[in-house]
Amino acid sequence: MKKTITVLTLVATLSTPALALKKDNIEAGMHTKIDSVLVVLAKKTSTATKGREIISMMDSLFDYTLMAKLALGQDTWNKITPAQKSEFTKEFITKLKQSYVEKLELYNNQKVAYKGVAPYQKGRLQLKTELIGKGETYKINYNFHDSDKNGDWLIYDVDLAGVSIVQSNRKQFAGQLKTKSFDQLLESIKLANNR
Amino acid sequence: MRVLKLIVPFLIVLGTNSYANVNITDLNHTVSAMAILDDKSKKIENSVSKISSKQKSIEVTDANSSGSNISSSIDEFEDEFEDANSSTALRFDPLEPYNRAMTKINDKMIIHILDPMVEGYNNVVPEGGRIAINMFFKNIQAPVRVANNLLQFKLKNATEETGRFVVNTIFGLCGFFDPAESDLKWEAHDEDFGQTLGYYGVSDAIPIVLPFLGPSNLRDLTGIVVDGYFDPLRSSKIGNANYKIAKNTLESTLYKGADMFNRASLHAGEYQIMKNDALDLYPFLQDSYSQHQKQKIKE
Repeated sequence: MKKTITVLTLVATLSTPALALKKDNIEAGMHTKIDSVLVVLAKKTSTATKGREIISMMDSLFDYTLMAKLALGQDTWNKITPAQKSEFTKEFITKLKQSYVEKLELYNNQKVAYKGVAPYQKGRLQLKTELIGKGETYKINYNFHDSDKNGDWLIYDVDLAGVSIVQSNRKQFAGQLKTKSFDQLLESIKLANNR
Repeated sequence: MRVLKLIVPFLIVLGTNSYANVNITDLNHTVSAMAILDDKSKKIENSVSKISSKQKSIEVTDANSSGSNISSSIDEFEDEFEDANSSTALRFDPLEPYNRAMTKINDKMIIHILDPMVEGYNNVVPEGGRIAINMFFKNIQAPVRVANNLLQFKLKNATEETGRFVVNTIFGLCGFFDPAESDLKWEAHDEDFGQTLGYYGVSDAIPIVLPFLGPSNLRDLTGIVVDGYFDPLRSSKIGNANYKIAKNTLESTLYKGADMFNRASLHAGEYQIMKNDALDLYPFLQDSYSQHQKQKIKE
């Protein structure tokens, strides 16, 4: 019963577009979210606990399904079966989250500066931020799109000092597909996820 | 070691805050962190797999329900990213076998030689000291940045770089501190000759993995050679360069090695964690490097 409730809560959290950000609220909304993420990071709990908590906070802002499609690319996406699509999407999301949680180990009290929202490609928007450490500063940009064409903006890519998460995965998957079948690619992602 | 600097971007995934600048100032903290690392990573794995299994049903529903408008919705985004067609997407890489082999060698060197050395160094020299040493080396190499800002007609940046060098050398105790940025808000404008070539449209064709330094290409390798003429830490036989600190190749190797080693110490552990994102290490590092360079050229 408890498990069902948890699942239902997660479904509600993740599928409610009301939790996406409105256009005018992207910067302020992200500011609030990131501030609360920093509070969690400062806690003395285990990285696993922090990771769970942070992922549940940020989840509603990401358009994971679109990210999965973009990472695979249109050509391949259109060729695979619905079952393969959902399997791939699931594994891709796991890959993203796993990678994220691992990186939490490296957080070292950097501060976040907000540099405003600017128009990006084809009516999309980009929030520019900077992560300011003791020695160096890194630019992190969040790219948003109007997910339902009704003013609910979600993140479809993050670029870190010029390196796009979607582009990096896209390149990797295309590289793998040069010599492997789609199912083999899926296996290698699964293998990496269960490492 | 240059690899370490260049891959830093990856260390922040999904971006908020997971950024990477490992604090090893506090010895006790580090030791205890090391001790519980294995335990932590197991917990992380468990938590991630739990989360993902909980979400399985959601994602399956989502992927299926949006099936009908998939093509049009991806279509809008296709231009924003590089071609994902496996037959056309991959770049011309005549040195691939060598590049793969050198990536493996660099990987082994980082894991078995560099990382243990960095760990020892970090236990002895506190983070504040390592940051100051990094500033010192960076300050000395100002001529490279000034020259390349000038070559790209970024006159304001060149002036700021020159101002930074003067202020930090005089008031920042020979560059160990950065009062130019903290007090005057004069930021560093990192430019090298590889970026200058990129600025004038030279492409990053022919990837080359360099020993120790990691991913590069013909353009940026040329850049490294040319920057040697401006860099006080590298000796050059051309011209009457009295400002050169390195008088010969041996000195040059020692100074550059010390600089890179110290810089690597500020990014300890990053490579290992970043590597976990790769399905195939060599193209992953090469692509990350290439994307990062493109961004630097744009700035």
